[in-house]
Amino acid sequence: MPLVPVPKPTFSQKLKRFFMVDLLKGMAVTLGFNVGALTDKDGVAGKGIYTEQYPKVRPDVAPRFHGAPRLNMDPETHETLCIACNLCALACPEDCIDVIPMDVEVVVAGKARRKKVLDEFIFDTSRCMFCALCQEACPTYCLELTQDFELATYSRAGFVWNREMLEQGRETVKYES
Amino acid sequence: MFAFAAPTFIDSLLLKFFSEQTVNYVIWPFIQIGLVVVITTGWVAYATYLERKISAFMQARLGPMRVGPWGLLQPIADGLKLLTKEDFIPENADRWIFFVAPYIAVVAAFIVMAVVPFGPDWAVITDVNIGVLFVLAVSSVGVLALILAGWSSNSKYALLGALRSSAQMVSYEVSMGLAIIGALMFARTLSLSGIVSAQASNSIWFVFYQPIGLVIFLISGIAENNRAPFDLPEAESELVAGFHTEYSGFRWSLFFMAEYAAMVVVTAVATTLYLGGWYFPLVYRFTEAKGFHHAYVVISLIVFLAKAGLLLYLYFWLRWTLPRFRYDQLMDLGWKWLLPAALINIVVTAIGITVIQGLHNPAGLRTIKSLSAGLGLTLTGTVIAIAIGVANLFITGGLLSLINWRARDFNLKKQRRQIRLVDLPKGKPAVVPVSPESAT
Amino acid sequence: MTLNMGPQHPSTHGVLRVVLKLDGETVIDLDCDVGYLHRGMEKIAENRMYTMIAPYWDRLDYIAAVSNGLVWVETVEQMMGLEVPRRAHYIRTILTELNRIASHLLWLGTHAMDIGAITVLLWAFREREEILKIFERQFGSRLTCHAWRVGGMPNDAYDGFVEDCKRFTDYFPKRLDEYETVLSENRIWLSRTVGIGVISGEDAVAIGLSGPALRGSGVAWDIRKARPYAAYAEMDFDVPLGENGDTYDRYLVRMEEMRQSRRIVKQALENLPDGPVNAKVPKLIKPPAGDYYHSIEAPKGELGCYLVSDGTQQPWRVRVRPPSFINLQALRQMSIGHLVADVVAIIGTLDIVLGEIDR
Repeated sequence: MPLVPVPKPTFSQKLKRFFMVDLLKGMAVTLGFNVGALTDKDGVAGKGIYTEQYPKVRPDVAPRFHGAPRLNMDPETHETLCIACNLCALACPEDCIDVIPMDVEVVVAGKARRKKVLDEFIFDTSRCMFCALCQEACPTYCLELTQDFELATYSRAGFVWNREMLEQGRETVKYES
Repeated sequence: MFAFAAPTFIDSLLLKFFSEQTVNYVIWPFIQIGLVVVITTGWVAYATYLERKISAFMQARLGPMRVGPWGLLQPIADGLKLLTKEDFIPENADRWIFFVAPYIAVVAAFIVMAVVPFGPDWAVITDVNIGVLFVLAVSSVGVLALILAGWSSNSKYALLGALRSSAQMVSYEVSMGLAIIGALMFARTLSLSGIVSAQASNSIWFVFYQPIGLVIFLISGIAENNRAPFDLPEAESELVAGFHTEYSGFRWSLFFMAEYAAMVVVTAVATTLYLGGWYFPLVYRFTEAKGFHHAYVVISLIVFLAKAGLLLYLYFWLRWTLPRFRYDQLMDLGWKWLLPAALINIVVTAIGITVIQGLHNPAGLRTIKSLSAGLGLTLTGTVIAIAIGVANLFITGGLLSLINWRARDFNLKKQRRQIRLVDLPKGKPAVVPVSPESAT
Repeated sequence: MTLNMGPQHPSTHGVLRVVLKLDGETVIDLDCDVGYLHRGMEKIAENRMYTMIAPYWDRLDYIAAVSNGLVWVETVEQMMGLEVPRRAHYIRTILTELNRIASHLLWLGTHAMDIGAITVLLWAFREREEILKIFERQFGSRLTCHAWRVGGMPNDAYDGFVEDCKRFTDYFPKRLDEYETVLSENRIWLSRTVGIGVISGEDAVAIGLSGPALRGSGVAWDIRKARPYAAYAEMDFDVPLGENGDTYDRYLVRMEEMRQSRRIVKQALENLPDGPVNAKVPKLIKPPAGDYYHSIEAPKGELGCYLVSDGTQQPWRVRVRPPSFINLQALRQMSIGHLVADVVAIIGTLDIVLGEIDR
């Protein structure tokens, strides 16, 4: 395929070509960054350093971040907000959630009734893709994806979380610098 | 004969045990060699650190920060890591050649340090009369190490990578050697210390007489070291790391060190030949003339290292800015651009010096001051020589364009096209948007 | 000589295996072997409900996940006849264009790195990081966002969305100028990209190329203009077209597309309407039985979704029209006659993502 016909270069273009002006312009940009790394504080829009030194500096995580799941509790009564409706398990595309209810006897208005409450809640974070469909499905705002993303464990079994782990949250070992 | 003024008390201590001949010709050289090897090895190791830091700053990041304050102990950590790695040799590899190749590379790079003049008096290990030839010859031995490494790895791709690297290195050595001749014409000696003395006595750096010489030398040096933008053989080509694919651990670190030592050698030789070596104006007047001899030597040493350091920065700067050449473009550049440029440089410089000598008429125009240390020129002579140097640039440029006017790459810049921006007619929207009234 | 650029290779942008037949250094034949990243997404989709499929669709072109989500929800919405509110269309446009800029930045970084200019990669990732921060604040995830729901968006724009996007559009052209200074006139870059990987307009249309690969050859086809979706009908922007169909033209086209995307984002931010962000959607999503094809202009090309529904809650068949897979077919024609080192540049210029090719 023939290329576009070439106009003859002018003298100034020849000079620029010989003195490698195009390479020097690119090198000027890099030099600007090198100097800016030492002098400029703005890494985002300027020429400063952009690195966040991660384990020393805790990262800035957004409030909506889809992180580790947590089962919320009522702040006053310290009982779980989960009503064992199973909607989260039905919404999950990966079948990570297993909600195990149990029946308890409660007395309501003088009569004995059976109420379904939560017994055990199994969440397999190794299958989870953090799509937050479960969080959207929960009617009582009990299941929430937090800002915690450091979920590594030493064994596969460590990825399967039970109710206690979900309610208490994870202990992140902070980096001692 | 040389005479050097050693620190007297160590001298007197040694003279108690050995004869004067032994001390002057055996002990002191060994001390010098030890110092140079230690400094060079340290410089090479910290050149890797500097490369990582400088490349990081150019890329808006930080580089090594963990090991030691600001990552200063990183080269030591790297060295320790490489020492403790598993040392394996490929199955059908040629064992002895596999062992020997990295050592040849390192030795070839380090031996050149023996003739490089780091400073005026005792800061040069030995001053060989044919210093320049020695440098060129010994650095060519490094190519042998490359070929041996590729051959002994018993891998088709390592061999191909090694052959390509060595072909590249040999091609650029030709232009490197020819580029030096221009500077030699002004220095009138092949010994490296003599070249620096020529620049020092005449208070000029040869880069002013020979700007194109420095450019050709540096480009050839960078290509010789297989550094970007000329590093295709070790970057991606046959998907392997070229000749040192099969090396791991300490042997690989020897190749790595050899590469950086070769870089240091090229910068040191370029500084010596073109940037005045350890000479810097006014240093002599404030130190040696007032009697501070050792201060003079030490300051000159620092000046030399600073100049070589600036050229090393140029190496890093080029690597992290420019894309890399394809192999055929690389060979094209070496044979069709740099070699003719070096030859044209020699011819023009020779004509220029003849003109200067011809113009020298003790009764009228005086251009030559003395011929004791290089071509000593008076102010008139210097001005003429600098003018010839600048004219050389344009002559070289013109002749190179004439030689390469049919080359495809030459006219590429003018083939840069502007892309068109068109506003295409809009089709019907796929989904009718809800009108603002019914949205609320 | 037969050379295998195997699945693990720093320059093939994923697990792509290219089998080259070489004569010395020149390529005389080329064969691609794909499938190393096949995850059975279309089969998985046959067993999930419509809302559950959206998170899987992000994993197709994982670099530009927002547009993948968009094609899925728009297909379902159009099949069901839902009308998405205008504010949702505008926010979808803004975020999809930011997603296009992010994808092109990654293309630029990896392409420049393959050719040797490694610094551009780090700079491009810094810009991309800012976009991903916006995505994190809006959607909750940086990369595989699960951005859209059928009928609109799960949440309205977060507080500070408009300010963050404005700040980005303010400083972004300066960064593009920096990249262009380092690359566009650089003689080494020109030597490596001009005349490499040429494909003519007729051949491009015959193979089925789309996106910047097609526009680099001079064919004026952009789905955002031809069949506008989301809010593109109301946006004012130009479409860059190349002339020669070589790598350099495609590079220039993509750089200019980034500028045009920024222009679209600016316009949409200025004219952002108020209102709800969700349409009224039935509880169970069951499109009527039948088939439907909808495509959008993803950063890589025309990303399409062919949905066959049987009236139940799970689709009968979903077929993705992957732009990278169809663009990859041009690799053979583009590479024959070039050297091995050029093959890497050509793979980079086609901008392929193995997630999309293998699904």
